[in-house]
Amino acid sequence: MAEETKMERAIARAFRPRRRMSRRMFLRQSGRGAVIAGSALTLPAILAACGIGPAGSGSAGASAGSAAALPSAPAGTLDFANWPAYIDIDEETGDYPTLAAFEEAEGIDVTYTEAINDNEEFFGLVQPDLAAGNPPQYDLIVMTDWMIEKMIRLGYLSELDHSRLPNFDANALDLYKDPWWDSGNAHSVAWQSGITGIGYNPTLTGREITTFDDLLDPEFAGSVGMFSEMRDTMSLTLLSLGIDPEEATVEQAAQARDKLLTPAQAGQFRNFYGNEYYDELANGNLALTIAWSGDVSQMKLYDNADVEFVIPESGGMLWVDNMAVPNGAPHPLDAHLMMNFWYDLESAVPLTEYVGYFSPVSGVADRVLEDKEAAEAEGDTEWAAALEVIAETATPSEEALANVHNYRRLTEEEEAEWNDLFNEVVAG
Amino acid sequence: MPRRWRWLIPYLFLIPGGLWLLAFFVVPMLVMASVSLQEGSLGTGYALTWNFGVYPEMIQQWAPQFARSLWYALVVTVVTLAIGYPMAYTIAFRGGRFKSILLLLVILPFFTAYIIRTLSWKLILADNGFLFGTLKDGGILDEGFRIIATPLAVISGLTYNFLPFMVLPLYVALEKIDPKLVEAATDLYASRVQAFLRVTLPLSMPGVFAGSLLTFIPSIGDFINSEILGSRATTMIGQIIQRLFLNNNAYPEASALGFMLMAAVLGLVFVYARVVGADQLTR
Repeated sequence: MAEETKMERAIARAFRPRRRMSRRMFLRQSGRGAVIAGSALTLPAILAACGIGPAGSGSAGASAGSAAALPSAPAGTLDFANWPAYIDIDEETGDYPTLAAFEEAEGIDVTYTEAINDNEEFFGLVQPDLAAGNPPQYDLIVMTDWMIEKMIRLGYLSELDHSRLPNFDANALDLYKDPWWDSGNAHSVAWQSGITGIGYNPTLTGREITTFDDLLDPEFAGSVGMFSEMRDTMSLTLLSLGIDPEEATVEQAAQARDKLLTPAQAGQFRNFYGNEYYDELANGNLALTIAWSGDVSQMKLYDNADVEFVIPESGGMLWVDNMAVPNGAPHPLDAHLMMNFWYDLESAVPLTEYVGYFSPVSGVADRVLEDKEAAEAEGDTEWAAALEVIAETATPSEEALANVHNYRRLTEEEEAEWNDLFNEVVAG
Repeated sequence: MPRRWRWLIPYLFLIPGGLWLLAFFVVPMLVMASVSLQEGSLGTGYALTWNFGVYPEMIQQWAPQFARSLWYALVVTVVTLAIGYPMAYTIAFRGGRFKSILLLLVILPFFTAYIIRTLSWKLILADNGFLFGTLKDGGILDEGFRIIATPLAVISGLTYNFLPFMVLPLYVALEKIDPKLVEAATDLYASRVQAFLRVTLPLSMPGVFAGSLLTFIPSIGDFINSEILGSRATTMIGQIIQRLFLNNNAYPEASALGFMLMAAVLGLVFVYARVVGADQLTR
C-alpha cells in the first residue's frame, strides 16, 4: 500500500506545473522587456499604420484608366489564367492544340494555368496586389461580366489598345460589342459565354426537371447541388420568385434568402459548390444541381452520357466571361496578340467545338453545324454525334435566349448586404 | 568573449528565432489586429476607426460554427489519441527491427499533398464509387447510404490527416522509457495493467501533451476537410474566415474572427497546460 501511495504522489507531482522562474527573476526579466517595448512605438501607433489603401493607391494604379503604351515587340512569354475545362484539349496527349498553334505562329511561350475556380475567390487572391500596385502574376485573366465591371470600377484592369485587336473589331458578334459591363470594350473582350441553369441526371431524378423549384423538392433531399457563387444562386432564386435579378432590391434578395434557408437547414442541399459540382454530378453524387450550360455538354461527351441541361421555366442567367489584362501585367502586348488570336474564326471554331459554350466570334455557330453535317456526310458518326451534343449548348435557340437574364450591377454596399444574406444560406 | 559579457550568450542564441517570430508572428498579428478594427470598402480603402463592435457582432453571427469547430477538434484529438497511442506503443516496444520501417509508414502520407490526400478520400468514399457502389450493388448497404457530406466524413478526414502528429510525439516519449522500469513494477507485484497505468502512462504524458496540441490546434482552424468532405451542416470557422476574406473581401470581419480563433486556442492551451502541466513538454 505504501508503495502505491508513493507512486500516486509521483503521478500527482508529474501533473502539477513546476515553477521554473522565481518571482524575482520574473520581475527582472519583464523589466528588461518593458524597456525594449517602451523605446519602440506605442501599440495604437503601430496598429494605425496598418491601414489598407483605397483601390488604385499604388504606383501602377495611378496609370489606371489611361491606355498604357504597349511595348513595340512581344516579350515572348505570357501567363494566362483561365477556368478549368475551358479550352480545347487533345484527349490523348493532354496538350492544348489551338494554344500550341498560337505559340508556334507568334513565337510566344504561353503558361496556361487553370487557376480560376470562382470569380470572387480569384479576385480575393489577386486583390491585395492589385490594390497595392504590385505587378500581377498573370498577364491575361478570364472573369465574368459583373466581375469585370467591378474590377474596372476599382481601376484594376488596364485599358486595351484596339489597334492591336483587328480581329475583334472585324469578327466579334454585336451582342459582345460595347457590353453593359465595359463600355466600348475598353478593358475586356469576350472569351466565351453561357447560361446558368440546371444540370440533372434523369436516371437519378426519375423524371424530367423543368423548374427551379424542382431543386427544392424534398424527394431529392441530400442530392441537390447549389453554387457557392452568390450571384448565380441568388439570381436564379429571385427569378423563381418572379423577380428580375437585374432590378432586385435588398428586400427582395432577403426574400430569396428566406426561400433557400428552410430547405438548406433541412439538409436539402448536399453542398454549395464551385467548379467541383462538375465531378459530383458526373459521378452521380448529385441528382440535380445548378450548372453551367457548356459544362453539361462536355460532361455528356466525356464523363456521363446521361446528364441533361435545362433552363428553368422561370429563367436562366446569361453570363459572358471576358479576357482582360490586369494593371501592371508584365507582358501586355503578348496578351493583346493572344486576345486577337481567339477572334480568328479558325481558332474560335475548335475552341467552341470542344468547350460547348457560345462563341463571341461571328460564324462559329454556323461552322459547328456545318462541321456536323460534313462529318455525317463523311461517315464520321462519332464526331458528328459529339458535335450534335456540343451544338445543343453552343448554338442557342431564339427561345432559349429569350428566357435568360443579366446580373444586377451591385454597388459595393448592396454587394455586402447580399453577401451577408447569402452567407446565412451557405453556412449552417 | 570576456567573462562579464557571458550572460549575453543565451540571448544571442535567441536572436534568429526571435527575429523569425517577430517577422512571421508578431507583425502579422499586429496587422490582423489593426485590420479587424478598420472600416471602409475596396473603393475607398480602409482606415482604423477602432471599431471594436465587430468582435461581438462576429461572435453573435458565427457562434455555432465556432462551437462546432471546437467540438470537432476535441473529438479528433480524443480519437487520434485512442488510435495513436496503441500504434506508438506497439512501434516503440514491439517494433524491434521494423521500428524505422513502421515509423516511415506513419510519415509516408506526408509525401503526398494534404489536399490530394483529402480529395482521394472523397473518391474512395464516393456514394457510388468502387467501395460503396459495390456494396450497394451487393445489397449490403442501403441505396441512400453515404459518408461524404456528413460530420463523420469531416471528423474522419481530420483524424486521418492529423494522426501522424499524434503518433510521432507519443513514439518519442514512449521510446525513451526504460523497459526496466516496467519490469521493476511487475517485480513489485504490479499487474501489467497497473504497471502501464502507474509507470508507462505517466512517463509518456509529455508525448500525450505535445500530440494533443499538435492535433487540436490545426484541427480547430482547418477549412480543407469540411470544404471537401463536408456539407453546409459541417461548416467550420476556418471556412467562414476563408469565405469572408476571399469571397466577400470582408477583411475586418475575417481578421476579427481569425484573431478570436487564435485567442480561443491560446486560452484553451493555457488551461490545458495548467491541468496537465506545461513542464511535461520540456521534461
